[in-house]
Amino acid sequence: MKRMIGIALASLAGLMAAAGGAQADQTTLNFLSAQKDSIVAPMIEGFEKKYPDIRVVHQSVPFNDLNAAVESRIAQGDTSIDLVHADTPRIPAFASQGYLLKLDDRRAAIEKAVPNKVDLEQVSWDGSIYAYPMWTSTQLLYYNKDLLKKAGIDMPSADPSKRLTWKQLLDMAKKAQEAGAKWGVTFQQVDRYYQLQMLFESKGAGPGLTGEGLLTPAVNTAPWVEVGKWYGDLYKDGLAPRGVTPEQTDELFINGQVAFIIGGPWAISRYDGNSDLHYAVAPVPYFEGGKPVTPTGSWAIAINPHSQKIDAARKFAEYVSLDPEGAALSVKTNPLPPVNAEAYKIYAEGMKKLTDRIGPVIDIISYETQNTAIGRPRTRGYVTFETVMNRAFSDIRNGADAKTTLDGAEQQLKRALARIK
Amino acid sequence: MNEHSSALRYAAIILAALVFFMPLWWVAISALRPADEIFRYISPLSLQSFWPEHWTLTNIVGLWEGSFRRAILNSLFVSAVTVIVGLAICSMAAFALAVIDFPLRNAVFMTMVVSFLIPFDAIAVPLFGIMRDLRLQNTYTGLILPGIGNGLAVFLLRQFFLGIPKELREAGFVDGMGWFGIYWRIYLPLSGPAMISAALILFVFQWQAYLWPLLIAPAPQFKVAAVAIAQFSGQYDVNFGLIFAAALFISVIPMVILTILQRFYSASVASSGGKE
Amino acid sequence: MSRTTRLLVAFCFLLPAVLCVFLLRLWPAGLALRNSLIAPGDGGYSLENYRYIFTDPDFLNSLKVTLVYSVIVNPLQIGIALALALLVNAKGPLIGFSRTLILLPVAIPQSVSAVVWGVALRPDGQINAILVALGIEPQRFLTSPNQALMSIMLIVSWIGVGYWMTFILAGLQDIPKALYEAVVIDGANRWQQFWYVTLPQLRRPLTFVLVADTVANFLVFAPVQILTAGGPEGSTNLIMNDIYTKAFVISDPESAAATTIVLVSAVLIVVTLQFHLMSRGEDR
Repeated sequence: MKRMIGIALASLAGLMAAAGGAQADQTTLNFLSAQKDSIVAPMIEGFEKKYPDIRVVHQSVPFNDLNAAVESRIAQGDTSIDLVHADTPRIPAFASQGYLLKLDDRRAAIEKAVPNKVDLEQVSWDGSIYAYPMWTSTQLLYYNKDLLKKAGIDMPSADPSKRLTWKQLLDMAKKAQEAGAKWGVTFQQVDRYYQLQMLFESKGAGPGLTGEGLLTPAVNTAPWVEVGKWYGDLYKDGLAPRGVTPEQTDELFINGQVAFIIGGPWAISRYDGNSDLHYAVAPVPYFEGGKPVTPTGSWAIAINPHSQKIDAARKFAEYVSLDPEGAALSVKTNPLPPVNAEAYKIYAEGMKKLTDRIGPVIDIISYETQNTAIGRPRTRGYVTFETVMNRAFSDIRNGADAKTTLDGAEQQLKRALARIK
Repeated sequence: MNEHSSALRYAAIILAALVFFMPLWWVAISALRPADEIFRYISPLSLQSFWPEHWTLTNIVGLWEGSFRRAILNSLFVSAVTVIVGLAICSMAAFALAVIDFPLRNAVFMTMVVSFLIPFDAIAVPLFGIMRDLRLQNTYTGLILPGIGNGLAVFLLRQFFLGIPKELREAGFVDGMGWFGIYWRIYLPLSGPAMISAALILFVFQWQAYLWPLLIAPAPQFKVAAVAIAQFSGQYDVNFGLIFAAALFISVIPMVILTILQRFYSASVASSGGKE
Repeated sequence: MSRTTRLLVAFCFLLPAVLCVFLLRLWPAGLALRNSLIAPGDGGYSLENYRYIFTDPDFLNSLKVTLVYSVIVNPLQIGIALALALLVNAKGPLIGFSRTLILLPVAIPQSVSAVVWGVALRPDGQINAILVALGIEPQRFLTSPNQALMSIMLIVSWIGVGYWMTFILAGLQDIPKALYEAVVIDGANRWQQFWYVTLPQLRRPLTFVLVADTVANFLVFAPVQILTAGGPEGSTNLIMNDIYTKAFVISDPESAAATTIVLVSAVLIVVTLQFHLMSRGEDR
């Protein structure tokens, strides 16, 4: 008992020391993000070298809880966050509630560093820019060379003009499965709108939201139901696995259990860690008669309007987004393409090295981000929309009828989106 | 009840323990094997499903080098203080509710009960506002406070105190003890097992706490283990090897504590000698 | 000892706990209650949020699911906990260790437990592998609207049963041997010993476990959030999951607050009933 009191007192003393240990003469910025420390470290290091009187502290919060953290802290006028990493689809909601500082005064500089219009759209809302764009994303078709060889299938071409149609891909997947692969094809982020939007857009079914502010749902139209049914059939026919969560799909590919996986470029470093896995990349398929579409959008860095260190915060935000040095460091340990045009060149150099082994990845990435990228709908109701749709996709994947499910989603969305004022 | 174990009973106990333990065994072997092999052998069942061919300490080492070490220490500290302070105030409250006959006693008791009916996550945001106004963000106090007034622990101890015979209390008065003396010298010593159960409640509450520490203390030096483990699920890659290694640590520590408590427990029961 | 003195003394004993409970539970709950009466975008008080949720098929479904869940899982868990407590109430090597193992799942972070069971219950997971080895057809578990809720019950029970067992065990070990010896002399067999000595003596711990377990089960949501998001087809949308989604995902804190008030009221009623039930015939 005495020992425990002793420990408690000692720790209390330690606590008081820690509380009082503020840095003198240095500005400290608090940066809230959902990234791992290892990803953020290189850019913080680079920044602190360039601006020795500013220190950046990274507060990492798991992705699923970032929203909760932002809502409870910035919403209540918290000054303890200076910079926040904003997921681009959430920017309209955050911006309309006043959580993000308007950046229109820096528009010229931003447009110069990031010429891609889609990337600019991702950080805008209602005519203004609310975040400095950092990264973007796209999707690739990965295939297991060994499984395809075993089935006698020709490797898909890496040339975007010779892109596979979905029908062609499913045929190959079936063949691979008949030749012994456990599964034919899977999506990396199953049941997620981010991943599946490209299917509906490719078919011409639209993003599922229309009207003023994109707050009117349109998810049970005939093309939507058709694609929904197509998605459900993948699992009904046993071509793709049920019950595997998005966190575990990579494992299927790594363990040689699935022949094709549609996933993002971040998977490359994971797949490369396995010498037994012989894989290559191709552009993602599209629906015949429709157009090729790839998902896009990623994280951007925004400033808390209540922050008391806005100038210092700007310096950091602009370092990691507008300054090619910082932008390149931001993707040093993070396998995503930066949107900064200069930094992209550096990124591309690095990615070129992969070509011999897995195909012209960087060429595909460049092509897709410039030609086929369609962002998620810019609306305040995005999270509500995504939550309802993800559930609907999950139900369809588990065997529910596509029409009934999408009708139900339509009703839910009508009610929930009407709550947004 | 017959206390001497028959062989059948023994076997049943071991079987029950094994059934509960199996998933934890999977966590343990997953922590100690290369991360990419974790999902390879889940089906069909083979020897490798239960016993890895390749053992490695990479995950454990990778964990220890990071900030996880600090997170475990934070969790231990916060839980320990919660248990100590919590036991004190909850047992005092339970004593008053069970033993002292005062007006509005039942009303106060129901208030205690209502308090643990309220889902913590539903009040986390308003509570956060209150704590922030008290400037308790990123402090140990902020982490500990919500855990010490535990209505469930008060309830448990009150039930137990109700069962201690009035005669003992009356004898205490006769001997000249005041209320506090009766509490300290009669009720508490008899309450070994109940106090340990209450300690368990307080401990589990803090050890499992996730949303609250996330909101009130996100700064790296205050992270607790439950939050730190979520770090290993990145948006794009989930390192199950690290997750399970962290889970191993997060469970071994309570396991050690619980094993020690088991000893205290049996010793307490023996010394308090049951009632009457 | 006068009434006032007793009140004063009680006050001193109760002050820290009551202060904590008030400041850290009841006051924020009051704020949540107030929030629930403010419709989004409005300034004044109204019952709009309640109207919204009671006309919301999602919420009504979650009420139904939670009810079904509670009615099944509480007797199940308490029954198993009681059986286990009776089983491990013995002396011997490794028995203490076994008790620890059975209790251990409650100390694992719920996210990890959910992931582990999520993998085990996968269509190609370990449980199906075992079933197939025993010649049984593989089951759909979390991917089927008919089996998902039971799967959640399984997971939550694995996590919690050891915890409840511990409290019942404490109660068991508190029972004076003399009582057993008395009835044994009268010729009682094992079952009669259980019925006439054990159960009555366990009334207080069982009340505690019944109330606490019921409350805990009404508040379950972590496995749901991580594994099913309320699906498939809403079959696992327990009410707390609905609240969490509304509060933290969709950012509709007003309807989350209204749902919380409904939940707390419901649980309060159930718990009050349980108290009445268990205290009938309490006087000894």
